[in-house]
Amino acid sequence: MIKMYPTFSIDSMELTPYLFFSGKGGVGKTSTASATAVGLADLGKKVLIVSTDPASNLQDVFRMDIPPTITPVPTVPGLDAVNLDPEAAAAAYREKLVGPYRDKLPQPVVAQMEEQLSGACTVEIAAFDEFANLLTKEKVTQGYDHIIFDTAPTGHTLRLLQLPSAWTNFLEDNTHGASCLGPLSGLAEKKTLYEATVEALSNKDRTTLMLVTRPDQGALAEGERAARELSDIGIKNQVVIMNGIFEVNSAVDDDIADSIYTKQQQVLKDMSEYMRSQAIYQLPYVPFPLTGIDSLRKFFTWRSEGLGPDYAEDISFLPQVLPGLQAIKEDLMEKSQGVIMTLGKGGVGKTTVATALALSLAKAGKKVHLTTTDPAAHIDQVLKDEHISEFLTVSRIDPTRETAAYREEVLSTSEKELDEEAMAFLEEDLNSPCTEEIAIFRAFAEVVDQANDQFVIIDTAPTGHTLLLLDASQSFSKEVERSSGEVPDSVKKLLPRLRNPEETNVIIVTLPEATPVLEASRLQTDLQRAEMSPSWWVINQSFAATKTTHPVLRARAIEERIWIKQIVDVEAEEAVLIPYMKEELIGSEKLLKLVMEGDNNAN
Amino acid sequence: MARIRIYDPALCCPTGVCGPSVDPELTRIATAIFLLEKKGVDVKRFNLSSEPQEFVEELKVQKLLEEKGTDALPVVIVNGEVEKIGEYPSNDELASWTGLSKGELSKKDKSKNNITLL
Repeated sequence: MIKMYPTFSIDSMELTPYLFFSGKGGVGKTSTASATAVGLADLGKKVLIVSTDPASNLQDVFRMDIPPTITPVPTVPGLDAVNLDPEAAAAAYREKLVGPYRDKLPQPVVAQMEEQLSGACTVEIAAFDEFANLLTKEKVTQGYDHIIFDTAPTGHTLRLLQLPSAWTNFLEDNTHGASCLGPLSGLAEKKTLYEATVEALSNKDRTTLMLVTRPDQGALAEGERAARELSDIGIKNQVVIMNGIFEVNSAVDDDIADSIYTKQQQVLKDMSEYMRSQAIYQLPYVPFPLTGIDSLRKFFTWRSEGLGPDYAEDISFLPQVLPGLQAIKEDLMEKSQGVIMTLGKGGVGKTTVATALALSLAKAGKKVHLTTTDPAAHIDQVLKDEHISEFLTVSRIDPTRETAAYREEVLSTSEKELDEEAMAFLEEDLNSPCTEEIAIFRAFAEVVDQANDQFVIIDTAPTGHTLLLLDASQSFSKEVERSSGEVPDSVKKLLPRLRNPEETNVIIVTLPEATPVLEASRLQTDLQRAEMSPSWWVINQSFAATKTTHPVLRARAIEERIWIKQIVDVEAEEAVLIPYMKEELIGSEKLLKLVMEGDNNAN
Repeated sequence: MARIRIYDPALCCPTGVCGPSVDPELTRIATAIFLLEKKGVDVKRFNLSSEPQEFVEELKVQKLLEEKGTDALPVVIVNGEVEKIGEYPSNDELASWTGLSKGELSKKDKSKNNITLL
């Protein structure tokens, strides 16, 4: 049975004044939000589109510079745009706090302050602050029929704001409570502002949450998580937009197209009860990039029917010959130990790449330990091959379990000392999001510590911020010495090891598409700030590296060349290319094939 | 009544659970202060990252920071005198400054004072 949903269309829907588009990177959140904004403006509405995403590509989508002040989009009458930059807001906040003390306190003291004020939550809260200001300013909102946000606050931010302790902490200026609320501190008048914002968000007549997702497992799981979290907090008016539904063209016989279609349909068939019960609309898998007003106007009405094989010119797909994954393996074969980390946003295939490399090294007789944080990594199937399992050991880092274990450890060491009230206070600190990051970081450090006589391959890494926090102003080693807590040996050795290119290979995994490449580039910058430099970029699931004849996929392949060129010319020290694979890569045999494929010659 | 002021280094959170390891010193001092506050003791704790003004206003702290940098922290000032530099006071010290018993600064012994109002 073919899964079909009504096509998302702004003409046939009653849209609330506020529309929040939520979804993970690469699902088409900004494109969908922008196309909606253009569509509504074309219907004669007065529309404002707002971006609070630090990685916003609103300017790419509209092909114009979008400043942090409200600016008309000249090609679309009735549409204004604004790009609020929470990172700049967080930096401004930091400067507001630290600035006055630059002359008054010694430099290392100022550095320590800055380091503590650079957390990820600072940026997240600053983003919320930005749109709270906008949403509650009647002078601004009155002029618009619709205000469209290309991001949504996370459940975490909203929960944090609902903690009574968050407010008592800063309003009463005692020493307890969650510290992530930095940018809000001391501003009592904001309480009303945030309450009004949360109320506007939960009002179904005013706000709709548009959950953009794709028919793939990872994106759906992430979408469901966000949907549930926001619904729990009271934002129940939700619509799911299933973006990128692929249609088979009956005029073309193409096994890659068939496989995409089959995979998508399977994912939709297996979708959870929860997602099924949502109001779902679909949007097609389009062959053109969603940048520029013309593309945005086509987006909601485009159909693949009737596209002939000549839709995309027959061209030589690849800009140049790129090696396959086996080039990385050959490089690594010269060593017999070291840390290999595959990094990338969810859904780009970092677990697949990590597992394939681990298998191929083990098959070649190298001792390998593979660790994954991905619950769907099918580790059992990997280990079925006995010859490989002689050399390969596998483990999992489970973020939920690690966090629980860390909480347990902290609470049990303190239990003897603390009474109930004090315990409650400690538990509240343990609810801070830093706890999960630190817990995973410790598990990560332990795994990396095993890289003394073998390869340790791991599909995750701490963020540059975590590393920087430990390292900023050279305080890491000092902190370690001074702290009377027992810093595990593995933590002490970690950073020097990760920075040493002899000991550590960082591999960035991405897809040859706009958002994943931009996100990967940001990841790389973040790591470079922590003085780690990625040695390889893996470009995964490339249609350009296949011989597809499907018109839509060919058009995609042509588009990919821009991003492949960008990676090769600008981003990567060295790059490899993996063609789109028809089969699900489960089991060691199929994964190994990924490394065995030859060079991706242009053809 | 003793007036206790503790000037912390820049901390993520007062219990120190966000560091690479749990520092029992931090959880101990956080608890002790929590309990002192409940007893009505005039005790305040300042975090460098959120309350830098306090560090500037207290000239003794500012001077120590200029001499020793962040190594001087935490600084503890009791009744206007610097009592501790670079470390937290022990529960014994807190007890002697405030005149409370040491037992009142850590977990209450539940076997004692077990009067339930039913």
